[in-house]
Amino acid sequence: MVGLIGRNGSGKTTLIRILMGLAQPNAGRAWICGEPALSPGDAVKARLGYVPQLPDAFGWMRVSDMFDLLATFYPDWDSQFVQQSMQRWNVDTKKRLARLSPGERQRVALTRALAARPQLLVLDEPASALDPVARRELLRELALRAADSGTTILFSTHIVSDLERVASRVAFLHEGRLLLDTSMDELKETHARLTVPSVSAASLAHALPGELRRRKRSDGSVSLVIARQPGQDWPAAAQMPGAQLETLSLEDLFIEVVE
Amino acid sequence: MEADLLNIQPASPEPIYRQIIAQLQRLISSGQLPPGEPLPSVRDVAGVHGVNPVTVSRAYSLLEAEGFLDRRRGIGMVVATRTRRAISDSARLEQLDRPLKEVVRQARELDLADQLVLERLKTLLKDEK
Repeated sequence: MVGLIGRNGSGKTTLIRILMGLAQPNAGRAWICGEPALSPGDAVKARLGYVPQLPDAFGWMRVSDMFDLLATFYPDWDSQFVQQSMQRWNVDTKKRLARLSPGERQRVALTRALAARPQLLVLDEPASALDPVARRELLRELALRAADSGTTILFSTHIVSDLERVASRVAFLHEGRLLLDTSMDELKETHARLTVPSVSAASLAHALPGELRRRKRSDGSVSLVIARQPGQDWPAAAQMPGAQLETLSLEDLFIEVVE
Repeated sequence: MEADLLNIQPASPEPIYRQIIAQLQRLISSGQLPPGEPLPSVRDVAGVHGVNPVTVSRAYSLLEAEGFLDRRRGIGMVVATRTRRAISDSARLEQLDRPLKEVVRQARELDLADQLVLERLKTLLKDEK
């Protein structure tokens, strides 16, 4: 499960739409499963699932009719999963899609995407219409399902706590650029904040190896965010008298690098 | 052992797989989880805590490689019957380094005398006996 995190307007939806062949990049090229994103072959298309931020397809149909219709398109359709999932989330499948609440519509769209057993599932803010309890429940379902079926899931979010539990890989998008892209465990183990007191700060004229951010505080001390290679030691500056090294939570790190 | 006995803090700077490893090591080396005790399945732990199953399974595999756990067919992971090496006091003590360093840092911020902090720790240790 890859979590794509960025602030509102950082380009998450644009990146996803380019990947899905729904938008053309101004520059550069996009590839999906080894094929050009704008014209993937049928074999690749059949392995893809995509749920946009505000799913609004099939509004005039009853939920159950939509599922019946889709089942005829997909050879691998998992109707048992559809039934379980609608029951667990208390969705009345006799209702027309347009009559569902935004949260319900999101759940129906996710169920639809998962039932086709895609190899790659791309979700744009899959939990945006849900409350905190439902978000966690939904992400947990996704993680279990992904592990069972071997599905790769790419999901975008602007909420750090969405990622902390379930993402195995994290990508930070900021102002259209990918600032970080690494495994969650490695991210926490290889990034830290180093605070150097003012007396030693003068010796830090040059950027340290792996320095990502530098901030001077009002008392003359310097606060740095540094990254090390996996298995390597922190830079020698961490041993300077009075220097303090603290590991960072995902939220702290995100705020440090995008601010 | 039940899955809800683990205490997982996703927002902590410590990776989740390390939290699981450290807690199980403590429970095993102190004997609270006896040899042969079955561990909750990966799916169970992932389901109860809402974390990625891959993370749990990574922790289990590393504990297996370190000799804390055995994989039994049909049962899953159990606490190893004889831990390959007895876990020494110093190794167990090392697991306290991280929280103790945090205590030291905060004691310095509060500008407390070492003696006062040590006495407080002694009292707390005695209370929990």
